[in-house]
Amino acid sequence: MLLLLVPAAILLALVFVAPMLHYVWLSAHANSVLTGLVPIPNQGANWIRLVSDQRFWQDAGQTLRFTVVSVSLEVLLALAIALLLDQRWRGRGAARALTLIPWALPTTVMALGWRWIFNTPYGPLNQTASLLGVAPLNILSNPAITWMATVLADVWKTTPFAALILLAGLQTIPTDLYEALRLEGASQRTCFLRITLPLLKPYIALALLFRLAQAFGVFDLVQVMTGGGPASSTESLALYAYINAMRFLDFGYSATVMIGSFILLLLLCLISWSFLIRLQHRTGRV
Amino acid sequence: MNPLKRVVALRPRLLAALLALLILPIGLVSAPFRQIERINILMPAPFADATRPLVEQFNRLHKGNIHLDVIRGPFETEAISDLAISSLLLGDTPFDALLMDVTWLPKYAAAGWLQSLDPWFDASDVETLATGAREGNTYEGTLYRWPFVASMGLLYWRTDLMDQPPETPEQLEAISVKLQADQKVPWGYVWQGRQYEGLSCVFLEIIDGFGGYWMDPKNAAFGLDKRNGVEAATWLRHLISSGISPQAVTNYAEPEALQSFKVGDSALMRNWPYAWAELQKPDSDVKGKVGITTMVAKEGSSSTATLGSWGLALLETSSHQDATAEAIRFLTSEQAQKQLFLSHGYTPVLVSLFHDQELIKVNPTLPKLAEALEHTKARPETPLYAQLSDVLQRELSGVLTGEVSAEQGMKNATKTSTVIMRSAGDRR
Repeated sequence: MLLLLVPAAILLALVFVAPMLHYVWLSAHANSVLTGLVPIPNQGANWIRLVSDQRFWQDAGQTLRFTVVSVSLEVLLALAIALLLDQRWRGRGAARALTLIPWALPTTVMALGWRWIFNTPYGPLNQTASLLGVAPLNILSNPAITWMATVLADVWKTTPFAALILLAGLQTIPTDLYEALRLEGASQRTCFLRITLPLLKPYIALALLFRLAQAFGVFDLVQVMTGGGPASSTESLALYAYINAMRFLDFGYSATVMIGSFILLLLLCLISWSFLIRLQHRTGRV
Repeated sequence: MNPLKRVVALRPRLLAALLALLILPIGLVSAPFRQIERINILMPAPFADATRPLVEQFNRLHKGNIHLDVIRGPFETEAISDLAISSLLLGDTPFDALLMDVTWLPKYAAAGWLQSLDPWFDASDVETLATGAREGNTYEGTLYRWPFVASMGLLYWRTDLMDQPPETPEQLEAISVKLQADQKVPWGYVWQGRQYEGLSCVFLEIIDGFGGYWMDPKNAAFGLDKRNGVEAATWLRHLISSGISPQAVTNYAEPEALQSFKVGDSALMRNWPYAWAELQKPDSDVKGKVGITTMVAKEGSSSTATLGSWGLALLETSSHQDATAEAIRFLTSEQAQKQLFLSHGYTPVLVSLFHDQELIKVNPTLPKLAEALEHTKARPETPLYAQLSDVLQRELSGVLTGEVSAEQGMKNATKTSTVIMRSAGDRR
């Protein structure tokens, strides 16, 4: 039986484990223009730098904020959309197809679209604002609010993905469960709390974890929409790793940033996983 | 009538078309044998637009031999560098030369991407350059860049509010305080205090003016946490806390400072040469009331202007190096510099042009710019400049907003800078 796993294991080792190990190795070396782009061991200097690197921790905070806010919004919205699309109504098929459009668009294209929407003063948003007599909103140049614009764009794009997972989950719930509970006179609300939510929990967990990992590694959206600005207020960890490699030509430190953010993501997943499991136990007893 | 004649008489157009069809392929086939060298130079969009007439002149001059194309890159300078680096890392760059900012050179040179310009430009060429324009073109003694436009930090002052511009930090304070007390201006001095590259440029001028240094070019040691460095940072913080500069200066880049000065809200401003033309426009409230000078410095220290020039660098991978060097020479020639100055106000780099009466008539500040070019200083010439500048900006921004003391901020910046150097493989 184990033998059948070998092809998959080899594939995984080639595309996942090997590059990962290479980065761990690289993070223990200086590899920049100063070394002629040749790796030279540097006694953990990259890691000492990472710990005290303000920009890394600022980006980590920003990435976490982006992840938590956008994933929570996405899963909540996705739940509402999935419930709606699960009901029987005229035009449901068309609605299901339409919902998927944002997700099917390439991120680069939609990020460019949002950047144009928020453009000051020519974008549609500010054009509308000026028609209403409102002063132009500098959404993409104000460090305090630009990150919200990136969250909005991300929610718009990836909610359909979470909705799709939750919709699949809803369809696995047998309808006779609802009928039985309704016979006992339970309200719509009770049905949702006692049947839908508990049975949907594994799917919610799945959507959460998928989205968590994706959102934490956000790159293309911010690169195209804001370039990490203004004043690196929307810079994500992935973008910082990219900048270290492609702009600063410091591949050793770039690898360190990458492994560092991988560890943070792992921690984040573990925390949310244990949280979900505890939730499962608690409601399981009810 | 014979049939051929009939065709010629009745169908002249058809015949012409047939002939064209015959000739066209011959032309296409023979074109490559004429060996036209096609060269590409990447420039930020505004520079590409400004040089268009020059490119046309060059191509007319070298018709049949060289064809120059200036690639119109993105607007933002970072985006230009990203574009160039991506193509250089992948190893098949379509560009023969780049227009590069003074701070990029060490990185590109250390990565081995640049071709030395020594075979094409010699000492006698260098002598034609203004003193300040000679800086920032070499890396470890080799010439890699030929200057195209000069730029340096300047102190703008209001000729109607003071007889003499300040020369020392103390004078700057005294003049500002008096003018503010007399309610002539809301603010004394505006500059660039936002956390970005402009803040590093401001600080370089002040730390040098206080007799200190950011990075010693001889041994690459940092001087930020030395006494003069801390004093310089303290002074900038003092400008804000004493109300000589507005609190908002901590979020000012060049346009904000210019705006404040242009409407007459400030007596003094730190900015680049481009601001002068802006201040002479009809919508300026200070038109004809502006003078320029060099940055203030403590008595005994010399005034410093941060060098901010653009220059052309030849890529090592170019297969048309002679033709590209020819184009670089043309684009930076005296005639080209004159043309760019008249059409776009680009500060020339050739010493001869600073005394050209025709140009001085257009911009009377030219002799002052020449003087400022005697005081220019390049930002630390290391391949890690971008990271070091990022660290300094962060710490300085903290000092200016009062989050951290000047002493602590400069100590942090020095420590972090050393850590970065070590992690990138610097062995000292």
